[in-house]
Amino acid sequence: MSERRPYRRPMPPNWWAHAPYRAYTARELSGVAVAIYGAVLFAGLISLWRGPDSYDAYLRFLRSPVSLLLHALLLAAVLYHVVTWFQTLPKTMPKLILDGKQVPPQKITQIATLAAGACSLALLLFTLWVAR
Amino acid sequence: MSDAVQEKRSISPIFWLLFGAGGMLSALFGPALILITGLLAPTGYGLPESFESYGHALAFAQNPIGKLVLLAVVSLFFWHGAERLYLTLKDMRAGPLLVLKFATYGVAAVVTLATFALLLAIGF
Repeated sequence: MSERRPYRRPMPPNWWAHAPYRAYTARELSGVAVAIYGAVLFAGLISLWRGPDSYDAYLRFLRSPVSLLLHALLLAAVLYHVVTWFQTLPKTMPKLILDGKQVPPQKITQIATLAAGACSLALLLFTLWVAR
Repeated sequence: MSDAVQEKRSISPIFWLLFGAGGMLSALFGPALILITGLLAPTGYGLPESFESYGHALAFAQNPIGKLVLLAVVSLFFWHGAERLYLTLKDMRAGPLLVLKFATYGVAAVVTLATFALLLAIGF
């Protein structure tokens, strides 16, 4: 009698912390940074609903060194998210064919990343101009 | 398409759609948003003191377009993070899938509903 015993390649439990999977783990966790920023805004919305005193406490938190450090880290993580997001974009969309030739994936990544930079820059300049 | 295939339809595409929308929104505007609300406004660099005042924040949250922006940013950012965290924890075999789903999609769903309720409670 022989039972089916397929070979299972052993994997260390923390395989995700080792190369080459580490890069994927970092990319996926950069998405969690996006959600943490969402949580900061959500907390602001709760304090806004609770009233001026609560909102003042929220502003004090935003001005604290802890919050400034947190936002600097979030900014770095989200910039990583922007870069990796557009690296994956050509792989998730249908082939783009212009004039009978396929547009190279690197070109799509490049243009999309520049467009995203332009969007963020536009929002930043618009806000600075409106709040002037 | 046969009936058998129809029955096996998964609801995953809904989560992919929310994940993709949040990923794109944060890729396009995330850096500017974090810079404005997290670094420039609190330090007063380039923005006046009154930028993030209670009155201004309330006026923004009471404006219908402001409400839409807040709902989209908060909920889609959570759905994006939820999808990524769920799949990562699943690959790490961090726990039973049902627990992982509640801890990720569940949180995103609760936050979405709560944001909706808060925006209604803040009024117009």
